[in-house]
Amino acid sequence: MKRRNALVFFLTLTFLAIGLMSAVAQTVNVYSIWPENWARPMFEEFEKATGIKVNFVRFSSGEALARVIAEKGNPRIDVLFGGPVETFAAGIAEGVFEPYKPPVFDKLEPRFRQKDGYWVAIADDPLCFMTNNQFLKENKLQPPSSWEDLLNPAYKNMIQMADARTSGTAVTRIFSILEVNGRNEDKAFAYMKKLRPNVQLYTKSGGGGTLPVGLGQAGAGIFFIVDALDTKAKGYDVAISFPREGIGSAAEAIALIKGAKNPGLGKKLIDWATSAEMQKYFAKYKINFLPANPDVTPEASLAAVLKNAKLFPIDADYAGANRERIVNRWVAEILNP
Amino acid sequence: MTAVEVRVEKISKRYSHAVKGDVFAARDVSLKVEPGEFLTLLGPSGCGKTTTLRMIAGFEKPDSGSIHIGSEDVTFLSANKRNIGFVFQNYALFPHLSVFENIAYGLEVRGRTKAEIRREVGEVIELVGLTGFDRQFPAQMSGGEQQRVALARAIVIRPQVLLLDEPLSNLDAKLRIQMREEIFQLQRRLSITTIYVTHDQEEAMAVSDRICIMNQGELIQEGSAEDLYYRPRNPFVAQFIGRVNMVEAQVLSMSRERLSVEVFGTRLSINRGALNPTIGGHVTLVLRPESVDIERSEGSGSSATGRVVSKTFLGEKIEYILECSDQRLKVMSIDRGWGSGPGKGEVVALTFFEDTIAALEDPKP
Amino acid sequence: MFMHDDPLLNLRRGGGGRAWIRKDPALTASVSILWALIGLFILFPLVSLLAGVFFVKGRFTVENLLEILSTRHQLIAFWNSLWLAFLVGTIGTILGFLFAFTACRTRVPSWLVSVIDGVVLLPLISPPFTTAIGMIFSFGARGLITYHVLGIKGATVYGLWSTLFSEVLTYFPIAYLALKPMLNGIDSNIERMALSLGAGRLRVFRTVTLPLCIPGLANSFLLLFAASLADFATPLILAGNAFPVLPTQAYLQITGMFDIRGGAVISFALLVPSLLVFFLQRYWVSRRVYVTITGKGAGQLAFDSVSAPVAWLLGALCLFVTFTIFYLYALLLFGSMVKALGANNAFTLNHYKVIFTEGAKAIRDTLIIAAFSMPLGGLYGVLVGYLTAKKSFPGRLSMEIASMLNYALPGTIVGIAYLMAFNAPPIELAGTALIIVALYVFRYGATGIRTTVATLSQIDRSIEEASESLGASSSFTFRKITMPLIAPAFFSSLSVVFIRSMTAISATIFLVSINWTLITVRILENITELSLGPAAAFSVFIVVVVFAVMGVINAAMRRFKSPGAAR
Repeated sequence: MKRRNALVFFLTLTFLAIGLMSAVAQTVNVYSIWPENWARPMFEEFEKATGIKVNFVRFSSGEALARVIAEKGNPRIDVLFGGPVETFAAGIAEGVFEPYKPPVFDKLEPRFRQKDGYWVAIADDPLCFMTNNQFLKENKLQPPSSWEDLLNPAYKNMIQMADARTSGTAVTRIFSILEVNGRNEDKAFAYMKKLRPNVQLYTKSGGGGTLPVGLGQAGAGIFFIVDALDTKAKGYDVAISFPREGIGSAAEAIALIKGAKNPGLGKKLIDWATSAEMQKYFAKYKINFLPANPDVTPEASLAAVLKNAKLFPIDADYAGANRERIVNRWVAEILNP
Repeated sequence: MTAVEVRVEKISKRYSHAVKGDVFAARDVSLKVEPGEFLTLLGPSGCGKTTTLRMIAGFEKPDSGSIHIGSEDVTFLSANKRNIGFVFQNYALFPHLSVFENIAYGLEVRGRTKAEIRREVGEVIELVGLTGFDRQFPAQMSGGEQQRVALARAIVIRPQVLLLDEPLSNLDAKLRIQMREEIFQLQRRLSITTIYVTHDQEEAMAVSDRICIMNQGELIQEGSAEDLYYRPRNPFVAQFIGRVNMVEAQVLSMSRERLSVEVFGTRLSINRGALNPTIGGHVTLVLRPESVDIERSEGSGSSATGRVVSKTFLGEKIEYILECSDQRLKVMSIDRGWGSGPGKGEVVALTFFEDTIAALEDPKP
Repeated sequence: MFMHDDPLLNLRRGGGGRAWIRKDPALTASVSILWALIGLFILFPLVSLLAGVFFVKGRFTVENLLEILSTRHQLIAFWNSLWLAFLVGTIGTILGFLFAFTACRTRVPSWLVSVIDGVVLLPLISPPFTTAIGMIFSFGARGLITYHVLGIKGATVYGLWSTLFSEVLTYFPIAYLALKPMLNGIDSNIERMALSLGAGRLRVFRTVTLPLCIPGLANSFLLLFAASLADFATPLILAGNAFPVLPTQAYLQITGMFDIRGGAVISFALLVPSLLVFFLQRYWVSRRVYVTITGKGAGQLAFDSVSAPVAWLLGALCLFVTFTIFYLYALLLFGSMVKALGANNAFTLNHYKVIFTEGAKAIRDTLIIAAFSMPLGGLYGVLVGYLTAKKSFPGRLSMEIASMLNYALPGTIVGIAYLMAFNAPPIELAGTALIIVALYVFRYGATGIRTTVATLSQIDRSIEEASESLGASSSFTFRKITMPLIAPAFFSSLSVVFIRSMTAISATIFLVSINWTLITVRILENITELSLGPAAAFSVFIVVVVFAVMGVINAAMRRFKSPGAAR
């Protein structure tokens, strides 16, 4: 029957196509939590340096972890690239990573590596407040310098921040608030409840609120410094500030997937990313991460912005252990009041 | 190809109707069509003639009974294996194919070569009088033309049996008459065993070798047109074919072949047929309008008289309605010229052509 | 078991089932293959979904369901979904009726009708976020309209109203397209007669026109209700957190909380109302609409149901809505060609460069998948439609229902079901193109079933009997007679599958992988990363491609029709 033959033909073609794609020599498969604008240049440099092609898809941290866990039985990727450490910490519990210590492992600060080598940091990313200057002017406000400043009624319905279910930014933010309140959960949640009326939208991705703030659709937001500075660099009229009580800084990590099909290539990528080889390009591509590798100095303007900020690292183990519970509580008590 | 016979033995088809319950579309229908014969199934709508035809064709499966075409038992054979030609009431031409392609279709199915197809289709197109229409499409043709295509398509494959389901009912009267003549001639020429379905009795009588009258799923009577006309075996047949006067008559005496009855004050001797009435009892006479002759009563020797109630001039004949002994009688008289025949109100004498009168059992009151 | 007590059915099908199957190998083969495919790609995933919801460690339990449904957050999402769907159904139907009425019953110039037809088509063939993007720019706190034009401060674009607005604009064309032929089919002589009897126009409308339209209106309402219930993309962008809806919640549960089971459970809550609405619409309401339409009213004189001033008002309203749609798409086009919409309006073609380089893989993947899905989906629709409408075999009714299931259900549910079914052995298709193609074929190909059945019903059965009487087997008849006659249905099915392949997201977002990604998913990523330039450029690209392909299909369809072939 002609119809059936056609069907078989198409199916065969499809399978061949897929087969061909994965048969291309020297390709490493990666989920990147970093947005494409930053991941792509890094991967291109990697290919230039090693000849290995990077085949990647971008997901926000929650989605990426969900996929990796879902694919546990038959991993489709070799490396999980970028994203805040508490995402990786949660992943360890699910048994999806393979421990691997790249050459620079011992050189790194303890907070930039998981003691057994399940993940290694490639960057450091502090949170910050970002506000729209027009908005500040109209409301006769100074850029917020305290967590309490955000409770000002002038901010009603004008703040955008990330949704804890999908974004690592949000989780870092929540754990920052916890840290500032001495890990007293009830105090922290009381603050977040008070803040709720001022929140216009919880965005799916961490940087989702930057454009609205840049445009003035929202007045303020809490973002990673990379996203905030990127917005400023695009020409939007925004101000960056830090709370005096302190704000968290999350390490961005990389990890080898357990059962990866190309572990050798994956390890090469990890070696490269954790070394100065990759991190020296942060400045070149105007990616405002702080390098995790001590051999790379932070770019001057970035250092200037962070000069007087009170930053503390997010405790990866504490965050990893309590992530699910805290996020669930957040969904129940804060997301929908 | 030699013609084959068609033998249908006690086929029935039943279905459940939401209101009427179990209904027989056809019940124990048996008939036999001789090779090359033109048989018509005649009856009012819903009588089962189309169902029977469709079962012979293979579009419906009988619930019981058997169908033989030639020597083959085709009861459970699907339609496409029976080598039949079917002409539909609505022609059922393939709208996306030209006349040529429509006709060629059956030959294509049978795997004939292009040359053979061209030759045979050409022949048949000429046969049905559609020369030059090869490339036309059904939508561009008139009803009569379409019907010819349907016919051509059915016969080009040289079927064993030709089945026609009321093929002319969608045509206007004049065309119908013309087409039925053509079909008749064609069938004569080709000598294909043919079964024809119609509700038009005049049509049936014009073309058929034999007619089967059906009613309510049953075969009532079969025979030639004359048989049915002059020797109907029950009132239904009598009244279905032609026009008739059903008149009650009293039995005076009977012999082995004839019956002596009294009607309208006169005595008649008619064919007894299969009747077995009681002397002194009643029978119903099947009196055709042309079985009675009328003339002005003065000077006639007949004791049957009637009064002319109406007189209608119909061209080649005059129709009278007479009143005789409190009954209305339809009488047909050949026209003999302007003003001939008795006029309205006149008393006329009746003469009966006894050989054309049949008797039926009196229906029980 | 046959339900062939209806004499009409009996006569139509030519009696008995089993005996005929053995004698008709083509039929048997087709039915078997179809069942195998339906079993694998429709029933198996749904069973996996249900198993995931109701079975924990081998034990049947409704715990999952109760747990999630008793969460206040999800309950709110549930009622929100229903409420939003109800609003969209109502307002969308009214709007669609307004348009259809204006087009059919007032003497608006035909060029206007053509323009309306064209613009109204846009939401139907574009990715689901297109209106959303424009809305954010127009109605936000610094929105083009709210702030710059109207001077409203602090307006928020997120929430029920903007989602409603966007969904109504996106879906009312469905109502319009459903109601237009229906209104056309109502013989205007009826209304003329009422008018001649002395009734005023309003009364005629109220007592004659409107009642005749009720089945059509109910039909539209149900169609729109179902569409809104299943809509994943628009609420994801516009609903905000104040107005959660189920499809989005299910998605977030899976992708955010890496909880596939939880997502499955949430989507299950969606399954019941969707199926209910689907069966209502298909087996009850739409049947009555069909009856209303068959009275062919083509070629009747234009009729003024309303007086001239009212006609002008209606026309103006339609124009206003049309203009709104046009504006949103113009904004989209504009956004694709400026550096940063709202901040930097310098002209640039950079975004297009980006989508053709960085986005080249997505474009290639999407087109390849669409190219495969199109013919397969078209074939599926035609084959199932033909078999279920014309042939008799055991389980015919079951096949008819099963074949439509993936289409009846919201994309989120089907996507999750596929994820659960094909993520692990025994049948592992996750990460392949095949799984996406299968999704499209068995979901969108189902639209062809309806069209095929409708077209077939216009072909008298005697035509196929004629073919049979001439000795043709089932497959010969199908190839030579039926297929050419249902070619229009096949081509329209091709169109639909292609359009949906290019614009689908709610199911396929779960199925993209490292190897195969889709343009719509990239658009979503771009929107969430706020690269609105590339998002807009991708959207424009899709609209252009869809228009082009539809044009080709329409041209092919016209050439295919021989003179005198079926309308």
